[in-house]
Amino acid sequence: MSMAKKQREFRILGMTPSEITKEFFSSSTGKISAALFIILVVVSMYALIVLPPNFASVWNNPKYWQLNPQYAPPAWINSLIGPVYSPQVYVHDYTYAVQQQNGVTYITVTFNVNYEYDKPWSEIFIVINNPAIYSMPQPPVLSVTVYRPDGSKITLGPLPINSRVTTFGVASEVISQVNLFYNEEYHVSSIVPTGSSATPYIFYTINNGKLTPLKGTYKFDFVFYVFSQNSSVINRNNLEIVLQGQTYGLMGTDNEGHDLWLGLLAGFPIDLAVGLLSALIIVVIAVIIGIVAGFYGGLTDESLMRLTDFVILLPAFPLLIVFSVLFGWSIWDAVIFLAIVSWGASARIIRAMIMQIRSAQYIESAVIAGASRMWILRNHILPQIIPYILYLLVTNVPGAILTLASINFLGLAGSEYPTWGMLLYYADEFGALTSGYWWWVIPPGLLVAFVAVVFILTAMASEPVVNPRLRYG
Amino acid sequence: MGLARTLAVRAATLVVLLFIVLFVISFALAGPASKILKDEIMMETKSIIMNLMLHGHYNSTQIQQLQTQIMTELESAYGLNKPPAIRTLYIMYNMIVFNWGYSYFPSEYGNVGGGKVVDIILSALPGTILLDTFGILLSAFIGIEIGLRSALKYGSKSDRAVMYYAALANGIPQWWLGIVMLLIFSFYLAQMHSPISFPTGGIISPKYYELWLTDPVKVFTIPQAVLDLLWHFTLPLITVLIINIGSWAYFARTVVLNISQEDFVTFAKIKGLPENHVVNRYILRPAAPSILTSIFITIPFIIFGGFLVTEMVFHWWGLGYVYNIAIVGSPTPDLPVVVALTYASTLLYIVIIFIMEIVYIMLDPRLRE
Repeated sequence: MSMAKKQREFRILGMTPSEITKEFFSSSTGKISAALFIILVVVSMYALIVLPPNFASVWNNPKYWQLNPQYAPPAWINSLIGPVYSPQVYVHDYTYAVQQQNGVTYITVTFNVNYEYDKPWSEIFIVINNPAIYSMPQPPVLSVTVYRPDGSKITLGPLPINSRVTTFGVASEVISQVNLFYNEEYHVSSIVPTGSSATPYIFYTINNGKLTPLKGTYKFDFVFYVFSQNSSVINRNNLEIVLQGQTYGLMGTDNEGHDLWLGLLAGFPIDLAVGLLSALIIVVIAVIIGIVAGFYGGLTDESLMRLTDFVILLPAFPLLIVFSVLFGWSIWDAVIFLAIVSWGASARIIRAMIMQIRSAQYIESAVIAGASRMWILRNHILPQIIPYILYLLVTNVPGAILTLASINFLGLAGSEYPTWGMLLYYADEFGALTSGYWWWVIPPGLLVAFVAVVFILTAMASEPVVNPRLRYG
Repeated sequence: MGLARTLAVRAATLVVLLFIVLFVISFALAGPASKILKDEIMMETKSIIMNLMLHGHYNSTQIQQLQTQIMTELESAYGLNKPPAIRTLYIMYNMIVFNWGYSYFPSEYGNVGGGKVVDIILSALPGTILLDTFGILLSAFIGIEIGLRSALKYGSKSDRAVMYYAALANGIPQWWLGIVMLLIFSFYLAQMHSPISFPTGGIISPKYYELWLTDPVKVFTIPQAVLDLLWHFTLPLITVLIINIGSWAYFARTVVLNISQEDFVTFAKIKGLPENHVVNRYILRPAAPSILTSIFITIPFIIFGGFLVTEMVFHWWGLGYVYNIAIVGSPTPDLPVVVALTYASTLLYIVIIFIMEIVYIMLDPRLRE
């Protein structure tokens, strides 16, 4: 094998691949867009790993979120404005004791909570993760004693425990017992408004005739009475006690108590998929139309360009609205429609490129030398338009993402998976603007903008590569 | 002669486009979507019957008769008793002669014109024209100025700043910026009891609303009403400007950069011509038609894209907000309004495109020959 390998340098647009990379990264936009792109990919992958595969059904199951507060700002708000809102508390640190007497099992659960906020916990949930509880002939009964920081004590219950989740403060016994407590202690009657939970009033006192938070350590004694020898229906592993706060998690909650952090995370993969899929379809159609028109010329070119003009002129957004309404389109239908009406401008660019390449001398020589059209296409034309294809792929992503976010914001073309546009739609519907739920409207819009800007910056940074006139300075 | 021919071809293309859009919508409405229409008719009949039962004394057989009578009347009014092909033509005909029917939920639109869809859409036009004209012209004017300056200082710090601003402005959804503006300058300012806070939306205060819907020209004769309108106009206009200035600036910058690399510019520089002479004569002049074309060509896309949704956010009485009411503001989608709006938008859109093309041809001497 002594035959010398024919050394042919691979060049696109007069640049070797390494020169292209160098050109791209020579500008600050190139570096920044690459960094942002990596962040985008990492977060999307993180989202795919963290979110369960059945996240769509989890998100749409209101029961899953019922322990969460609704319309709650993020938990870190307290570190900015001081201890105002009580946080969501899952009580793990409790003492647990079991006693049996005369066929009745007494389970005593004791814990302390430190209340130092202006707005108290809005509810107490007792969760028993054991289906056996629903079907017991005589359900277990719970009685609660609260020792307050001022030395007073409220005894609440007994309440039957016969469902998975017991909402403590809305039970009529509890409400009347709290009312009675305020009546005896402060001579105020009917402190709990009709229809409200009594839970917050456990953490209040009356000071100079006004309802004020009573800060300090509260001791809760929960006693479960289980009327059978089978005391294991309630045990350490299936018992959860949750104090519903007024703040939640990293990004707060919406009207249904959805953890918005998870909703925002879920937006990453779906937004990327929507943008990339639509850009991919656009570019595939554009390349086919552009190559056929530019390469064959004549009547084919003429008619394809008429078609292209036509598609460019279509009022895509109003049509997308009307079809989404009429056919109840999903987000994927909308993506496909959008792609089908958006390839015009890209096809024109590809065609112009091919026309330019086609008139070059080396193509003429190849034709004279007897090269077939396919050979010329494969060896001379395709390699040269690849960077343009990539460039068009990048430039078509933000438009698709922004349009889909807009149509989702109208409550149309939705998906099971929450998208940022849909989060904004619900925010607008449920009065985020008139009630100031900033955590519900700022992050989704910022993320839409972030993803779009990443692609726009990438396109800007690649402009000097595809447009040699900008290659200087 | 060539000019007339070009324009005729263009006009023909646009009319064909309009017809195709009209056909597709009508076909969709007549065929696949007719089930929705049937459901709507059922609802409409039920509400009429409810009204009759509240205000008159009928027995159940009379009611039953009335219901079938109303149903068949409505079905024939919507042409549902005809085969799909006829129905499509029927809907197309009604669209073309501006017989757009009645809204299902006229009260959602303040009972404009007794719920006649044509009147609802006409009442929304002035708002759209006001916001779009000022928004686009002002942003184009400022944006192009910024773009030119930044291109002439290519690579400088200010040029880079303009570029990042443009990237942001292109990436931020205009309507979302509107939400943020409302949150800050309407909600939070009001909550802080600031002496100045902007309205939460709407085109004008409720006391002038009636007048605006019936006779918008008269609003401009009342100074207080004009001030009130401007007060409502401030936030939407600022939102639209922030977003659109960026796109114009970036666009103008690219055009000027491309031209300043042309050989004749380099030659003019080599010849030793004064800098501002080169800029004005050799760069800006050839750049102008290209920039103008793009303005004209993109206007319809801008109007029927981001501006529609921005109107919804600000409850700005325009086409976009009417869309919003018809889609999500009503108990069920208000089909006559949605469909007529799409047709009206397409019509308006091609009219604008045609006017822009005439202006463009008049501006570009190469096309005039």
